[in-house]
Amino acid sequence: MEHSRKIKHLYHRAGFGLTIAEEKRLKNKSITKAVEELFRDAGKPSAFSSNDKVDSYYADKTKRPGKSEKQEFKMQSRKLTALIGTDWVQRMALGDSPLLDRMMLFWHGHFACRTILAHLVKKQLNALEKNALGNFRDLLMAIAKDGSMIRYLNNQQNNKRTPNENFARELMELFTIGRGNYTEGDVKEAARAFTGWKSDFQGNFKFTKHQHDYGSKTFMGKTGNFDGTDIIDIILEKRETSEFIAGKVYRYFVNPKEDQGRVKEIAKVFYDSGYDIAKMMRHIFTADWFYDERNIGAKIKSPVELMAGLVKTLHLDVKNPQGILFFQKALGQTLFNPPNVAGWRGDRAWIDNSTLMMRLNLPTYILSSAQVNMRGKTELESSGRKKLFQKLQVTADLSAYQKEFGADSPKEMARQLSDFFLQAKTKNTALLTVKLPSSGADQTKTIIQRILSLPEYQMC
Amino acid sequence: MNRRDFLGKAGLISGSLMIPSFLKATTFGKGLSTRGGKNLVIIQLSGGNDGLNTIIPFRNDIYYQNRPYLGIPKNEVLGLTDELGFNPAMQSLMDVFGNGEMSIVNSVGYPNPDRSHFRSMDIWHTASDSNEYLTSGWLGRYLDASCTNACLPYHALEMDDTLSLALKGAEKTGFAASEFSRLRKTTHHPFLKAIGDHGDHDHDHESVAYLYKTMVDTQSSADYLYEKSKTHKSSVTYPNNAFGKDLKQIAELMTSDADVKIYYVSLSGFDTHAGQKNTQGRLLKNYADGVAAFIKDLKQNGLFDDTLIMTFSEFGRRVKQNAGGGTDHGTANNLYLMGGQLRKPGFYNDAPDLMDLENGDLKYKIDFRRIYQNLLTDWLDADARTVLGQKFESLSLV
Repeated sequence: MEHSRKIKHLYHRAGFGLTIAEEKRLKNKSITKAVEELFRDAGKPSAFSSNDKVDSYYADKTKRPGKSEKQEFKMQSRKLTALIGTDWVQRMALGDSPLLDRMMLFWHGHFACRTILAHLVKKQLNALEKNALGNFRDLLMAIAKDGSMIRYLNNQQNNKRTPNENFARELMELFTIGRGNYTEGDVKEAARAFTGWKSDFQGNFKFTKHQHDYGSKTFMGKTGNFDGTDIIDIILEKRETSEFIAGKVYRYFVNPKEDQGRVKEIAKVFYDSGYDIAKMMRHIFTADWFYDERNIGAKIKSPVELMAGLVKTLHLDVKNPQGILFFQKALGQTLFNPPNVAGWRGDRAWIDNSTLMMRLNLPTYILSSAQVNMRGKTELESSGRKKLFQKLQVTADLSAYQKEFGADSPKEMARQLSDFFLQAKTKNTALLTVKLPSSGADQTKTIIQRILSLPEYQMC
Repeated sequence: MNRRDFLGKAGLISGSLMIPSFLKATTFGKGLSTRGGKNLVIIQLSGGNDGLNTIIPFRNDIYYQNRPYLGIPKNEVLGLTDELGFNPAMQSLMDVFGNGEMSIVNSVGYPNPDRSHFRSMDIWHTASDSNEYLTSGWLGRYLDASCTNACLPYHALEMDDTLSLALKGAEKTGFAASEFSRLRKTTHHPFLKAIGDHGDHDHDHESVAYLYKTMVDTQSSADYLYEKSKTHKSSVTYPNNAFGKDLKQIAELMTSDADVKIYYVSLSGFDTHAGQKNTQGRLLKNYADGVAAFIKDLKQNGLFDDTLIMTFSEFGRRVKQNAGGGTDHGTANNLYLMGGQLRKPGFYNDAPDLMDLENGDLKYKIDFRRIYQNLLTDWLDADARTVLGQKFESLSLV
């Protein structure tokens, strides 16, 4: 296999693809060097430009607003949350720390949490940023003490008199060890250990002593006066936890079809390192098997990956951020708004007749400024009626491609551009050059638009 | 198959891989053509419809005590029985009820109710327990179980541009389309048409082949639905709104013998925390007028006996009105079935007990999955155990 294809694979999985300039710069780098560079850059993310706006809006708000301001507060919060979401997509596409953003996106899907309060969204995103490549235990602790998660999984209502099991259950079922490795009794006891783990309006963690159950608990065969931290530590002692996470990591980063042997291998690295996420990821990205042909282009891009990839490779200037949000909704992945705590199912679950046609038409909407015309679903709490979405205000800059390939014959251009844009190879290159416009620049644009409309472009 | 296997297959263990033998395990003797067969129409009232102001317990003092402003005065209620009656906005459904073509089930819900719209809607869509998370919907799993080879992509059709979770199976999915001409336009994009008609659709990666297949299926389905929707034009007047238009399109497809078994349509805006009287009145009028026109249309075309219409909402609302002229999120609610072949028309069970509340909310008496069980077994001829993952005691509605 060509080395440049491996590099591209790495950057599609550990990041959000490559621009043509980046591809040129990296194509002769060794895998080890390229991986090191990704890890190095993950350490210095740029700040989100939405941060200031969020901070200033919530600065003087110390408690939930009263009736009169409630509507306004909700609306502003929703707006700011959407802003953080578009901001993040922009950073995924154009920022200098693609591996970090990729890991954050993975963990966001793993610790799936819905919230509209933007100051809580910002806090949680910070926690993911800080721990995405750190130690899994730290990440887990940060999530257990996170204001959004505490609210989302009702730990706010978990007290010794009436324990609420929601967080305790999902902690085991979805976040750490998986079904079949704990009992209903474990859920009850863990819930008691997390009583009093609350959060104030600002989203700070607040341990409420008088609501905490200090009694003895028996959890996974151990007995003691456990609190939440002890529960997390006991769960992490179990190898099954490393296997559960490794399986999910494999399906997300390597191949949706699980290979049991590889999962065991990854789990061992993860467990033996004391749950060092960076060690696990480095192991995957530098393994020969990661670059096997069957893994390349084998995964269907998530809507956010698709959007970020388009922004990146087409140098999109997005003039209406609602456009990005609309496509997240229409394609089924709105950031900070997963379908439920199990997160997005991924791969083929992204696809139905409507999302696929939307995906395949997207390049035309972008490059030909075509009308979108789509009726989105109304939010359940909305009183509004269904509206037709029409305008996606973006401009693409294809000059780099026109400069690079403009002088080639259409057939050569189609071959080179397919190689560049597609991770899954296509057998339909001949159709890319049928009835082309006459000017070279228009030819490049038409060919790119067609490549991006191929089902193969949906793969990464 | 035990419960744990089911949960894995229904997508509870997220990202789990599908095991095709699960799908092969259930075989059905019958072909799945819907021609001359039964249809199911699901109507979703989104936002949590206030059931107590839809089916009104007009002899109950507690109702009026809790709703001094919102309570519908006795003399305005459209009486159905000695104690229960319709919201005045639902005049157009009086005949349907009178003809024995409607069943009303009171106090429908599920254990440990969730008051979040999203979560509760999820529970209704996936038919999960309140403390478990499934990533596939009940109608999608019906497709998984029954469409082993024969189903067309539009076997279950949602009148919308995006597909609801209810229609997403582990393997198969329903089809979403609101305006067939618009859908057809996106599928007739010249380049997509070219790769659909002349491209090579095989690929080493199964998922690429799957995408090509979905694309080609969507192209032919869009043509089919577009053509079918033009075959017969309804002569009945529907209310001039999106919901009326959706129902009209469904009636036209049904009259043209389209190969669609399940239709899914929603009406939103029921989250009436404030200003409920006008909003709910307007919505219920849209609902009742739309459904009445739909039933008239189906009757004219001899289709009503083979049609079952189920209406649900993710939850009901609190018994007590709030300070803003509205009601907040509640729990149990009523559910309506309409059709020409109901086994128990009228009220299926007693009115909700307003004396016996839980934190000010109605207690559920009937798990909604017992109704799914009934519909799956007796209307759709499906193996309900496979679809729901556990056996529920069926209600004898159909």
